[in-house]
Amino acid sequence: MADSDSTQTVGEALRAQGISRRDFLKFCTVTASLMAMPPLAGRAMAKQLASMKRSSVIYVSFQECTGCLESLTRSFSPTVENLIFNVISLDYDDTLMAAAGEAAENAREAAMQKNWGKYVLIVDGAVPTGDGGVYHTAAGKSAEQILAHVAKGAAAVVSIGTCASFGGLPIAAPNPTGAVPVSDLVTDKPVVNISGCPPIPAVVTGTLVHYYTQGRLPDLDSYGRPLAFYGNNIHDRCYRRPFYDKGQFAKTFDDEGARNGWCLWELGCKGPVTYNACATLKWNQGTSFPIQSGHPCLGCAEPGFWDGGSFYAPLATGKWGRAGETRPRDMAFVAGAPAGIGAVVGVGAAGWARMRRKHLEDKPREEED
Amino acid sequence: MNLSEIPIRVEPNLAEEGLGGGVKALLHEVLTMLERLVSTGTEGAVDLRSLPMTPDDWQGLYAALGEGGVDAVFESNGRSRVRETAVPGVWWIEHRDADDNVVASFLEVTTVPPLLTTDLVDVRAGIPRLRAMLTQAGAQAPFHGGQYDG
Repeated sequence: MADSDSTQTVGEALRAQGISRRDFLKFCTVTASLMAMPPLAGRAMAKQLASMKRSSVIYVSFQECTGCLESLTRSFSPTVENLIFNVISLDYDDTLMAAAGEAAENAREAAMQKNWGKYVLIVDGAVPTGDGGVYHTAAGKSAEQILAHVAKGAAAVVSIGTCASFGGLPIAAPNPTGAVPVSDLVTDKPVVNISGCPPIPAVVTGTLVHYYTQGRLPDLDSYGRPLAFYGNNIHDRCYRRPFYDKGQFAKTFDDEGARNGWCLWELGCKGPVTYNACATLKWNQGTSFPIQSGHPCLGCAEPGFWDGGSFYAPLATGKWGRAGETRPRDMAFVAGAPAGIGAVVGVGAAGWARMRRKHLEDKPREEED
Repeated sequence: MNLSEIPIRVEPNLAEEGLGGGVKALLHEVLTMLERLVSTGTEGAVDLRSLPMTPDDWQGLYAALGEGGVDAVFESNGRSRVRETAVPGVWWIEHRDADDNVVASFLEVTTVPPLLTTDLVDVRAGIPRLRAMLTQAGAQAPFHGGQYDG
């Protein structure tokens, strides 16, 4: 799995693969721009990365669907993001590596010992802690035990995807496995959350490059996510925003509004309360993102999005967030009056909607006919 | 050569272009960078994608800076273009991805952008290749007095 020549610098490894200094300079320049670093930072980044030895990364997976790893590794053509795999030495990943069983475990232990205190630990998937952690076990150890062990010698921990960052789908009610996010268990190391279901590959790449060149994690928001990518919400960067401002909304998925690409607020778009770079970086090398493809934002980069009520209920119905949990940043928007909507949608209206929904849920079935 | 055959490069008249406020401010910043380059040798750059530029701003900036004599293109996971503008020392660098989407756009104030230079490490790596080519060419067709035998 890992390159056997650990004495090679990144620059030497790149040249050996036919990647020129110019290619690498472009990669670093684009990455620095993505990270909102100073314009000439790309040059310093290229120089620093080229002269360093490839850094050890250990990647462990727990309660996950592998979508995050697929996002990072799959592409139809070599991408700028894939170049990160020339900067790091991926010493363990049980999905990608050819080795299995004890050989794989031994490889991980060897990488840990060799790079103790210096390797970056990447985790995807939530960690089940219920019933002694029996819901995820490997080599006789629970996920919780594996994480505690591997994190011991890590310099930093990167939680990739919403499951590792916030619990994702496993933590959704009733959370039968006692799933928790990585940050609940790793409290003595720097942890960065790169949420998203899955996250955008360039966000992962940019964060890792920032760490290796600056020697620290990038500035983080209150959820531990890189501010450079999670500092704006989808709504404020959405190309359909002019329709929202004019009060033009699609009301069904096949009406005139939908065909004309109008705002998807009434179809349940969670863009106003979701912070990610989807609207700017997009997916599949900038091809598209859910809203551009005609589907409302699910809010997949936010904690508890699976418990936020229907994906197709407008935010104004007030169901966003887990029961009893409020997040000031989001509730301030939901309680406000979005421009362009004929009726003022405030807390009162949201409360009325909740009451009406509860009334419909409680009504005896024969009365609905 | 008569008068009409003398090549003329039009210097953009910034005062007549009706520049927007954002472009004017940007050009003032570029002017400061140029003065610093001349006096101290310090290079500068502006990340254009970090600025809130309207389509009119982009057009205004392009028209104001004009095009210089150097236009280089290279392919690296998508096309990248390095152009000197009509203002010497101001280079417009644009990087695109494999799907031809612009992923980065900079103005660099420098005598020559690093992207146009060749690293000595790459030069050293190329020497054996050229030497091998010459050796092979010499073995296949002896060189006589400036002409190769057929």
